[in-house]
Amino acid sequence: MDLLPQVFSDALLLAGLYTLMAVGLSLGFGVLRIINFAQGEMIMLGAYGAFWGLTLLGVDPIISLPVLVVAGFALGWLIFRGFVAKVLDAPHINQILLTFGLALAIQHIAIILWSGNARSATTAYATESAFVGDVLVVYSRLIAFAIATIMVVALIAWLRWSETGRATRAVAENRAAAALMGIDVDRIYAMSFGVSCALSVATGVVVSFILTITPFMGFPMLIKSIAIVILGGLGSIAGTVIGAFVLAFSETFVSYYVPDGAGWAEGIAFLLIIGILILRPRGILGQTVET
Amino acid sequence: MNTRTFGLLLGAVVLIVILSIPVFGSPSAVDITFRTCSLIALAVSWNLMASAGLISLGHSAFFGLGGYVVILSANLLGMPFWISLIASLAAGALFGSGLALITGRLRGIYFAITTLAASEGLRVIAVMLPALTGGAKGAFLDAKYYPGTFTVNMGMSLAAAVTCLIAWRMSQSRIHYAFRAMRANEGAAQMLGIYPLKFRCAIMAVSGAVASLVGGIEAFHGGYLDPAIAFDLHITITSQIAPILGGIYTLSGPIIGAVATVFIGDATRLSLGHIEGVSLLVFGLILVFSILYLPQGIRGGLSDLWRRRSATAEPTKMAKP
Repeated sequence: MDLLPQVFSDALLLAGLYTLMAVGLSLGFGVLRIINFAQGEMIMLGAYGAFWGLTLLGVDPIISLPVLVVAGFALGWLIFRGFVAKVLDAPHINQILLTFGLALAIQHIAIILWSGNARSATTAYATESAFVGDVLVVYSRLIAFAIATIMVVALIAWLRWSETGRATRAVAENRAAAALMGIDVDRIYAMSFGVSCALSVATGVVVSFILTITPFMGFPMLIKSIAIVILGGLGSIAGTVIGAFVLAFSETFVSYYVPDGAGWAEGIAFLLIIGILILRPRGILGQTVET
Repeated sequence: MNTRTFGLLLGAVVLIVILSIPVFGSPSAVDITFRTCSLIALAVSWNLMASAGLISLGHSAFFGLGGYVVILSANLLGMPFWISLIASLAAGALFGSGLALITGRLRGIYFAITTLAASEGLRVIAVMLPALTGGAKGAFLDAKYYPGTFTVNMGMSLAAAVTCLIAWRMSQSRIHYAFRAMRANEGAAQMLGIYPLKFRCAIMAVSGAVASLVGGIEAFHGGYLDPAIAFDLHITITSQIAPILGGIYTLSGPIIGAVATVFIGDATRLSLGHIEGVSLLVFGLILVFSILYLPQGIRGGLSDLWRRRSATAEPTKMAKP
């Protein structure tokens, strides 16, 4: 049997998920110029939200998604008002360490509340699959891909056509000029931080029926998101989509074709980060940045 | 008493204490001193890089590298304690300056992410090369190379002492003005005739060597290493919390912070240790609140108090920022 169609389908489905995972970070980084190290923990919280919704209330993750997304937005808004807003003009080091500390705190609150044990949200469709020709398609991954596509398209539409979306893009491009045009920069900041957290929570809900859920799941996903955002370029959603596809395809190809590939695939994100930062720090489609 | 004599006196006291405890102290005092000295050396090393404007999120890379160099050079080549440590020192310096060369023009957040990626990348390599590192199962140090408790503890105390002396020497020389200029604005520093790459290589070689040496001594101390221990994010976190808590960009800050961090860690473990994860939660909260409310750390807070009290006596004396 030829492996290639299977590899392509796996990579494609993964790329959709990666796009959703990284697009939140990309929005936050593009607008606020801060890498939010707590973004991975938002994914983790989303996954736990979906898990508890299913276990305690019997609500399918797909049904609880809208509620959790709204909650994620609110949480992001609060984190911005309570912490991040205070370091917007501080040196980079304060911004990095603050969000790093937040991530550490959130992760360990989760450990205290829900223990470090691995859990999984087993929905009816989590384990089902079907052959399309020679290609095995796992339903849960297909559903995840569909949700991711819908959310990313919705985000792009919002940024492109809504008044607030246009204002957000203006702030991302030039904060001072946007303020002079009468845009409430502070509100846009809080808004985009909230939206970026909401997107990460959505990612968590989606992966809840694909991966095992632990309090530690956020950090590796954060690193991958950073790799994707840097690869695609600062402030470019299209770049993020390309970055997600590059990472997903290279990971999938390595895990299929390299001996011990599944282990090495975990290292590709780091290789990409170092490689792109050395060769082209602005990424594939990014604006020129102060490196 | 002015700040300078106070600092010198404090330094001398710290030196005497950490060098005499391995000789005279009780086992628990020796253990606490070992851990404190380990953190002092890591914190000073992190602070050296930070004071040149280089934020390291990958100090565990150096730490783990040093550990593996020690295990390999002892187990495979049969090197004695001191020579293994020199090897880990050299490896850390090489890796640090190499990282400085390849990250040549990266600043701020981009530099920080590269160090994080380097550390996580090394972890993946350590997992994937079981022939060399024992893979995820880990590797034991051959017991016949263990040099005895006293040597290991004394080694760590010496490492901390020498690290502090190096940092003190640097703070006395004109080099530290170059670092301060680079931290404020690397472009402007370059205009003034400071060649950033040279200074970056130097500071990262020193910082990397120290952190790697600590990793090496810790490997002798523990006798076992696996990728999760060696490249634990925890190392990076504590080595940045200590300077932040004590007072970043200062000489005494990381030392004060390391003592405070070990104390807080032990206190939470003793009082709330039955709750899993609580000590790192406390560290996370410390990080957040010291950034927001105590940006100059304990040292800055103390010298503020000091200045307010002696404001009438010496109105022009200002603590260094």
